[in-house]
Amino acid sequence: MDAPLLAIENLRTYFYSRAKRAFIRSVDGVSLEVARGETLGIVGESGSGKSVTALSAAGLVTAGPGVISGRIDLYSNGARRNLLDGLENYARIRERDGRVMEVEKDERGWRKRSETLMAGVRGKEIAMIFQNPRSALNPYSTIGKQLMETIRLHTKLKGESEAKERAIHWLERVRIDSPRLRFDNFPFGMSGGMCQRAMIAMALSAEPSLLIADEPTTGLDVTIQSRIVDLLAQLKAETGITTLLISHDISVIQRLSDRIAVMYGGTVVETGRAAEVLAPEAKVRHPYTTALLASIPSAETIRRKSYLQAIEGEVLDTIEVPRGCRFYGRCNRVTEAIRENCAGSEPPLGEVATGHKVRCWLYPATGKA
Amino acid sequence: MKFAAVKPVSRVLARELAVTALLLFGVSVVVFAILYLAPGDPLNVLLEGQSPRSELALGMREALGIPRTWYGQYAAWFGKMLQGNFGNSIRTGLPVLPELARVGVYTLTLTLGSLALTLLIAVPIAVHAAAHGDTAGNTAATMVAYVLSAVPVFWFGYIVVYVFIHTFGMFPLISGTAAKQEHAWLYFLVPIFVLGVASGTLSEMIRHLREELSRVLAEDYIRTARAKGAAVWRHAFKEGFLIPVTEIMSAKIPFLLGGAVIVEQVFNWPGMGRMAWQAAQDRDFPVIMGIALVAAAFVRLGNLLQRVVFTAVNPRASRE
Repeated sequence: MDAPLLAIENLRTYFYSRAKRAFIRSVDGVSLEVARGETLGIVGESGSGKSVTALSAAGLVTAGPGVISGRIDLYSNGARRNLLDGLENYARIRERDGRVMEVEKDERGWRKRSETLMAGVRGKEIAMIFQNPRSALNPYSTIGKQLMETIRLHTKLKGESEAKERAIHWLERVRIDSPRLRFDNFPFGMSGGMCQRAMIAMALSAEPSLLIADEPTTGLDVTIQSRIVDLLAQLKAETGITTLLISHDISVIQRLSDRIAVMYGGTVVETGRAAEVLAPEAKVRHPYTTALLASIPSAETIRRKSYLQAIEGEVLDTIEVPRGCRFYGRCNRVTEAIRENCAGSEPPLGEVATGHKVRCWLYPATGKA
Repeated sequence: MKFAAVKPVSRVLARELAVTALLLFGVSVVVFAILYLAPGDPLNVLLEGQSPRSELALGMREALGIPRTWYGQYAAWFGKMLQGNFGNSIRTGLPVLPELARVGVYTLTLTLGSLALTLLIAVPIAVHAAAHGDTAGNTAATMVAYVLSAVPVFWFGYIVVYVFIHTFGMFPLISGTAAKQEHAWLYFLVPIFVLGVASGTLSEMIRHLREELSRVLAEDYIRTARAKGAAVWRHAFKEGFLIPVTEIMSAKIPFLLGGAVIVEQVFNWPGMGRMAWQAAQDRDFPVIMGIALVAAAFVRLGNLLQRVVFTAVNPRASRE
């Protein structure tokens, strides 16, 4: 793999549920790498921890206890920065059998520390776009002002008029019609698609090294969704920006990603090149990925008017994490030979081919890894 | 394009002013009706000790040129009022309008001063609580504010008088004449403090501002602001601070005026509240009418301010 831009290692982000008096293990030991210039797509059901992974990387987790362990390395300007540097001084974890049982975290202290670590990173190095763009833009300010704010914060253009020119330039680049007029529009006067274009313009106008797109098509009309995907693909081709794309929509992931990480129950269960992981004839594949792919309506299922394949069972609730494989309860490919393993211990993320890793007892690692 | 926001504001202003005129007319009719139907006759004050039914009273009426019918009386008052003449006080014989202006300044000082004090105390507590959640410090401060707001303002006033003026002798008893003494402004601070702390506005302001601000801080667009590395307060200011503060201020002005009547009694403060109290005792119709109109105008002014701020700030409201 090429030099990484962002490397997440063993990230854990937990939330405390007062009602259940237990931890929600939203992200439970995730390791990912995003290489410079590539698009990494994270796919998974709701509650699989993909969005929380993204928010953790941007330092935007607000609920407690939040990020409790791991490291997030950002390689920029020839230096490596750990965005979770010193976290262990704020969060103390007690583990039993490799399972976190107790967390003591100085949340206020860590928030302060995190703000210092993220200063000059958030917005500048890592820019982010969200779902529901209408509510993600400030309704009390014009599109133009919000763009200019980003430009003046993060680029050398500090003057009013040059920042405005640049803002209009970006509105043109995201193909907003009559950008000079839109510049003075408030978000409520614009469609969801327009708002998302403005969000993308705002994110890219800081010229960041990494773009995190957290469910960028969620909350938009279906027809608009594919336009936004097209736009992201075009901008990717033009700027070559490294992208971390999060979506539950596997077709969006398929169209935009170079590599894919499939998440389930707060962990990565499969990762590899998009073409390899999603290839229809692939022989080695995590049962969960198989089930996800089977649940997409294809031309075939539509023609035959057959039912869509739903994944049996319910999404893993990340409070009561099983001892064995997290997908064991819903898996339909457990064989007698491996059942004991599946139920008893969590499989490692083993390399089954170069750059292709699967967390499943069906595929013993090739030994290299 | 910058001027685009001005136009709707002026439209709102014009509409609100028209509503205010109608409302003041309504207030004058209602107050007049209540006064007319209420027992008691202002002439009693002038003819102290004498039978109101006597020839003297009738002659007095004739001499003062008071119309016999109620609508005649109202029309006479209304006609003069339109020319800026609110009549003369029956008790003192002084013209109402200049008198109102004289005491109005005191009441304005008292209410605006106490409003400023309330803001000064409420804003830091509410903002801290919204930004950091419950901490020992802001919980304690909020509790104290709630207790003070629950305390009746006259009682709190007497306690302050007793402790600071009687026991410690820190301030002389305040009255209008204190204005001529040295450090006069110090004496003025005591009633302002009492009204500002105990009028009930304090707890409401803390609660409303805190709720609104924490709601806004959890909005998606604030997360966007953080994600782009911008200052959060700049994005939260309009919806999370300016609008709730003006809302609560305009909603609380009537209560402040009510509190002012009491505080002015307790502290012998020569304001409109005391004047209203005295006028009500005397059935001094022209003064009561004048005060009712000024008080109503003041309350409307608060609403007006709130509407104007809301329209100027909120792009949706200005493009209806």
